Amino acid sequence: MLWIGRFAVVKQIKIFAVVLAVQCCAGLAWAAQGVAETEVSVAAAQRVISAGGSISEWLVAMGAQAQLVGVDTTSLHPSSLQALPSIGYQRQLAAEGVLTLQPQILFGSAEMGPPPVLAQLRAAGVQIETLPVDADLLAVSHSVRRMGQLLGRSAEAERVLQAFSQAMAQHNKQLDKVEGETPRVLLVFSAGQGNPLSAGKNTVGDWLIEQSGGENLARHQGFKALSSESMLALNPQVIIVADRHNQGLAALETMLSSSPALRHTDAVQKGRVIAIDPTLLVGGLGPRVPQQVAELIDAFYPATTVQVAQKSQ
Amino acid sequence: MLNTSYRLFVLLGTVLAVAIVLSLALGPVSISLQNLVMVLLRAVGFDVASTPALEQAQLIVSQIRLPRALLGLAVGAVLALSGVAMQGLFRNPLADPGLIGVSSGAALGAAVAIVGGAMLGGISEAWSPYILSICAFAGGLGVTALVYRLGRRDGQTHVATMLLAGIALAALAGAAIGLFTYLADDATLRTLTFWNLGSLNGASYARLWPLLLITFAVALWLPRRAKALNALLLGESEARHLGFAVEKLKRELVFCTALGVGAAVAAAGMIGFIGLVVPHVLRLAVGPDHRVLLPASALAGASLLLFADLAARLLLAPAELPIGIVTALIGAPFFLYLLLKSRF
Repeated sequence: MLWIGRFAVVKQIKIFAVVLAVQCCAGLAWAAQGVAETEVSVAAAQRVISAGGSISEWLVAMGAQAQLVGVDTTSLHPSSLQALPSIGYQRQLAAEGVLTLQPQILFGSAEMGPPPVLAQLRAAGVQIETLPVDADLLAVSHSVRRMGQLLGRSAEAERVLQAFSQAMAQHNKQLDKVEGETPRVLLVFSAGQGNPLSAGKNTVGDWLIEQSGGENLARHQGFKALSSESMLALNPQVIIVADRHNQGLAALETMLSSSPALRHTDAVQKGRVIAIDPTLLVGGLGPRVPQQVAELIDAFYPATTVQVAQKSQ
Repeated sequence: MLNTSYRLFVLLGTVLAVAIVLSLALGPVSISLQNLVMVLLRAVGFDVASTPALEQAQLIVSQIRLPRALLGLAVGAVLALSGVAMQGLFRNPLADPGLIGVSSGAALGAAVAIVGGAMLGGISEAWSPYILSICAFAGGLGVTALVYRLGRRDGQTHVATMLLAGIALAALAGAAIGLFTYLADDATLRTLTFWNLGSLNGASYARLWPLLLITFAVALWLPRRAKALNALLLGESEARHLGFAVEKLKRELVFCTALGVGAAVAAAGMIGFIGLVVPHVLRLAVGPDHRVLLPASALAGASLLLFADLAARLLLAPAELPIGIVTALIGAPFFLYLLLKSRF
């Protein structure tokens, strides 16, 4: 109360400025000190976090669920993962939040970030493993082997990989035998409102259609909304609908209510609409892919599958 | 008058100090009070025996929490100061820094960096945050400069024209952002959405310095124009007749705001509401004298942002809320409460 007067305000401003300046200096001095030693043991990691849907599925498939201490918001399958602490969206990780789980390794795709947070995690001694999640078999085998190696589960990793590639090889063989024209397919994400997004080039959806012997009518890159009219013009023979909330007939109903024009496509007229689980389509190829490919082949070539089944009996 | 403002500053200063201490002390990782004190002792030069828990605490406090607290301090202060400057310039308590196009320009710059970068095959991970910041800053300054130019006629700046030009250019920038949104793929789209909600996450010293310097400059400069801003409240010609260089003042206000908000948005994304609500609330509390209003707004803006960030990082731990959501959640109801209270 000593310096009440017209300069009081000015003084306060100066004090505020000084506080700011002191904060800056403290920050600089401290930043120089704060670089800590980082080393991760070579032994199998017992606490890991997965920031990617398919990565989590592979970890579970090789029996490493007990080693998982946290997952991101795209890790939805199997549903037991949803009981684990969530570290949020893979591109918006929080350094401190991840550190509370005391992970040794953080697995994720190249999309994981932001980069400054990854740098902070590295400084805190967390090993950041960026795995390829492209939709091709080479990326899958590389990622799964790497996970197995780091978790001390190489044998299990080889086993799940072998099951995967055997199943895919068998599907390829089956496709060689099928007869009939290649179906023209459209894969749509139905959100229940607005135009559904369709899966174009360089998506897991596109890869699934190709591996199941179909022709993807959507030729754009990634996911884009197509208008009802252009979907009608493409006139798909098969529509695959990925719906977060509905399965089977309910998914079809939701899709038709948001884009009624689709009623006039061959696919809807002939009842060739297949609902698939949308969690299959994010974050690369997971262990459930071969099973889905088998179902799609059955749906794409119904007559042939019946014949094959009859012959084998 | 000044006696009350003295008490106000003591109060606001205490609140800010508490906010800073809590920002360093609280987070998803719990650090014991003992270790926190050790870390602070070490920071001021004491020799403290090292333990693994202490090293961990030091890393978290010095590399994660301190840069984050500094970022929050600077962003909150500079947004609130810019809000006062704009409300003074437009003589309207509803003005916010977005009016002169700096926010929409920065958002456009960010959209160009995020979507354009992804379309060019991706900027290298190490550089993308810097390029994003630079593009957002440049976009904010560029659009503001254009708005200012459009508002000038015959050597005079017409505030009303500038306001309308700001609205038009914001709409234009909105359309361009929409186009980029359409071109973006799914992942890029989410980056853009999150950027628009703002975050203090991932603060690092390298990206902090430009903002701290600019905040420092704005916090020193604007209070020097407090008397001129007071005179401007009477009207432009009245201020001119009182002997203030009104044209120069307008130029300075626009420049300070563009610089400050541009840097804040570039460092932390779009954080709404601070620039509008903080000056408004303080004006209701302490009156329109800019000599009090400017520094008080800076202190209160910094405190509000630090508290909002505490909520953002603690509520959903180990995940995190975008801070723009929290500032709006805290700010909007409080604002409404004050409006209703002052009416009855």
